[in-house]
Amino acid sequence: MIGLLRERLSHLPRDARDTLFQLLVIGWTVAPHVLHLPAWCGAMTALLLAWRARLAIAAAPLPSRWLVSALLVLAGGLTLWGEQTLLGKEAGITLLVVLMSLKTLELRARRDALVVFFLGFFLVLTHFLYSQSLLTGLWLLGAVWGLLTALVLAHMPVGRPPLRRAGAVAARAALLGLPVMAALFLLFPRIGPLWGLPQDAAGRTGLSGSLRLGGVASIAEDDSVALRVRFFGPQPRPDQLYFRGPVLSHFDGREWTRLVPNFPVQQRPRLNLQLQGDPLRYEMTVEPSQLPLLPLLEMTPDRPDSAPRIEGWLLTLRSDGQWQTDRPLIERQRVEATAWLQHQHGPSADVLGLRDLVDLPPNANPRTLQWAAQLRARPDLAAADARTLANAVLMHIRTGGFFYTLEPGTYSTAPGSHAIDEFWFDRKLGFCEHFASAFVVVMRALDVPARIVTGYQGADDRLQDGYLVVRQRNAHAWAEIWQPGVGWVRVDPTAAVAPDRVQRGRSLVPPQGLVAGTVTSLNPALAAELRAAWETLNNRWNQGVLNYSRTQQLDLLRQMGFSAPDWQDLATTLILLLCSAALAGAAWAWWDRRRLDPWQRLQTRVMQRLQALGVAVQPHHAPRERAARIRAVLGPAGQGLADRLEQLDRLRYGSPQPSALQLRQWGRQFAAEARSLPRQARPGADPGRRPA
Amino acid sequence: MGRLSPQAWFRQWWQSRLPLTDTWVLGQRNVYILPTKAGFTFAATLVVMLLASINYQLNLGYALTFLLAGAGIVSMHITHGNLRGLTLHLRPPHAGFAGDPAALEVVLTSPSHERHGLALRFEDRAAFGHSFAWCDAPAGGQAIAHLSFVPPHRGWHAAPVLVLETMFPFGLFRAWTVWRPAARALAWPRPESPAPPLPQAGSTPGDERHSLRTAGSELDGVRPWRRGDTMRQVVWKKVARSGELVSRETTGTASRALWLDWAELGVSGTEARLARLAAWVLMADRAGLDCGLRLPGHDLPPHQGEAHRRAALDLLALWR
Repeated sequence: MIGLLRERLSHLPRDARDTLFQLLVIGWTVAPHVLHLPAWCGAMTALLLAWRARLAIAAAPLPSRWLVSALLVLAGGLTLWGEQTLLGKEAGITLLVVLMSLKTLELRARRDALVVFFLGFFLVLTHFLYSQSLLTGLWLLGAVWGLLTALVLAHMPVGRPPLRRAGAVAARAALLGLPVMAALFLLFPRIGPLWGLPQDAAGRTGLSGSLRLGGVASIAEDDSVALRVRFFGPQPRPDQLYFRGPVLSHFDGREWTRLVPNFPVQQRPRLNLQLQGDPLRYEMTVEPSQLPLLPLLEMTPDRPDSAPRIEGWLLTLRSDGQWQTDRPLIERQRVEATAWLQHQHGPSADVLGLRDLVDLPPNANPRTLQWAAQLRARPDLAAADARTLANAVLMHIRTGGFFYTLEPGTYSTAPGSHAIDEFWFDRKLGFCEHFASAFVVVMRALDVPARIVTGYQGADDRLQDGYLVVRQRNAHAWAEIWQPGVGWVRVDPTAAVAPDRVQRGRSLVPPQGLVAGTVTSLNPALAAELRAAWETLNNRWNQGVLNYSRTQQLDLLRQMGFSAPDWQDLATTLILLLCSAALAGAAWAWWDRRRLDPWQRLQTRVMQRLQALGVAVQPHHAPRERAARIRAVLGPAGQGLADRLEQLDRLRYGSPQPSALQLRQWGRQFAAEARSLPRQARPGADPGRRPA
Repeated sequence: MGRLSPQAWFRQWWQSRLPLTDTWVLGQRNVYILPTKAGFTFAATLVVMLLASINYQLNLGYALTFLLAGAGIVSMHITHGNLRGLTLHLRPPHAGFAGDPAALEVVLTSPSHERHGLALRFEDRAAFGHSFAWCDAPAGGQAIAHLSFVPPHRGWHAAPVLVLETMFPFGLFRAWTVWRPAARALAWPRPESPAPPLPQAGSTPGDERHSLRTAGSELDGVRPWRRGDTMRQVVWKKVARSGELVSRETTGTASRALWLDWAELGVSGTEARLARLAAWVLMADRAGLDCGLRLPGHDLPPHQGEAHRRAALDLLALWR
């Protein structure tokens, strides 16, 4: 089959073969975009490329410019219809892909192809907006190689150069360019976005600053990594792994948001963090979340020896215990910090500000409020403290027929509807956020200050390369209630129905794809092994390449001996490096222009010696002619020199060619011979000398 | 000369610095390199890609941009190295008629690696045409490129200044060298067309000398065959016996020599006379006639054959 294909390809004219190769490369470059571009775009591109290939094989004329323009207008219209704009990221990439395939219909000369190649390089870049994974990188490395190879082919106009040859030239250029690439990659100062924040670049959202019922379902199924953590010390139990994100204390009946306090600063609840037990040092790599926060392990205090630090960033610990950054995380960040798993926080005595935390929207969820009032009226709970009330509510959750599921269906969000009532009495289906928000509403109805904490809980069972992996599906929401004399107490209502979720950190496993499912069912151990190896590789890739940021650049400079490097040092180092490389190149060129071919050098020396002896010879004279001239001028005295020159002539024009070493040896013998003669033996007698 | 535009003046000054030589070895001193339009476009593309990488914080975007930048810089060295070390040699050009293309044969010798996409052209494209001769030089071998130019009038013509250039491998840079070959090409006068028929042989005064020799023609000896002897001159009987090609010593079949005399051409004006003479020399050669040229102050004795035709045409080409 392949042999047949090769046979057919080798009979194609060269132009057709080159065009087919270009189309293949373009197809390869565009292919990954098919996953996220509109279907019509993929179909149109495939049709256009196939049509162009047919024209190439049949050596048929290309379509008129009118038709191409009409297709371009059609594509623009479809984009506008689908995306409502021509300017956004998706719209731009859609148009770029269509433009690229349309341009192939205009490839009349090989030179026209340059536009396609430059468009192609840019198209490769656009893939990284969606994914920068190892596989994407490898696939696109292939695309870049293909584009460069096609570029080389366009500049080999003679004959029918084999593709392999062009590919080797392209690969060689890229490989020799690696030092330049490495220097630029390592030292080019990483600066923030130059304008606007590329909101649409966020491939995924983990936590957000708010919580709306039903909003976490998609995250729970997201297998991508949220953060990786490594402990310098004993590893905590899974149920101790609470990574604190935004604390949501304001509820409008449908959505939980951060509280805007109604009370002056001195009456608001303080953090008042008290640490107990042993500190636990850890290192954490946080994936870009596009949010201005770090989900650190509970609780990481703001002390010089424990607080996280990122070069050039301002990190603050909020009074609700969450670590805030002064800018969104748009690249991977690595931090080191120390946490105390045992701690107390929050005001020990009642403050006015805590009234905000029993606030409930009026006229919402009346049945739940009524249920809370009945609970409070129970004689055994009439004077109970917050902890006892919480346990009573948890008992209800455990025994009241509640069921943990990732697919609870949609809860009504229409105005006037009562989502908590619906969950608490009718559906009783939900996951962490349903349980947490219902629990907080009930506690507030019982006049206990309570709030929702979002973040991540738990991690993968296995370590990867020494790191514990926390995924987006580990996103979690739990509750905190305030107890006088103690402060805030964590209560995880989800644990009441799905203890596995919390104690082992395991979320419900979403359905797998067919292949992965087959491997898993045939050989679970092998599947786990493969997965672990792949993720280890991926982690190395993330840590080494994608995680490379300003912090790592400055670390590199520190290793190189800078005491307190900043970005100017980076720029200086880079410029110095490039300048010295350029200077080395210039020095080599200077040396190279002086360097003569050994043969030419020898010829020049012989000429100088002969002229010193009074024998006029020209640079273009062969040794044989020089010998004749010597015999004519010097007579018998020059016999030895003439013989030597004739020997050189035989050496030079015989085979094999004399080596540089042989020539040097000959030069020494000739010099010795020439020195034995008196200088200017018979000046003026040279018939070859012309009057000046 | 005072009216030269600055560019033309610069070009002339630049070229006058170059030596006249038939063998041109390319090194650091005579290979020049500059980015092409495509090279600037490529650089602009890289800048846009860098901006996109910065704004979207794409580490792989940086890697891609810098990979291409590295490859681009390396391509500059490859482009320069594609010419550096080559040796160009112009073979002595053959003479031809003015107005007919004169072929130049340039031998490119690569002592080291293989070279691709070499383009040979005339430096002065306005005067000599835009044609390129593309060739590849194999590693350690030779390639031959052919170019032709049209000499406008008779006489010696210096071979035009040549340019060898390459944009291999990526077309981002163009390396070139300017070469002034020393060789000259001779252009014969363009033969008159259509030309009147040849004058009658023997009607001219120099006839006696020739007729004396023709008398003994049949008894003449033989000599070894020379280039330019016609088939009819070959003594086939002797060839059959000895196995060696021999020709009759006499000028053979034409019983009477034809003298083409400057004064009896029926046209006036130097170039018109030369054109008619050239046409007649060719006609006589085709007809296998002995013909001699009688120009003022210079006679070319009657003979025939390739060498004679050339001698006659050379004489006409350089006639003053």
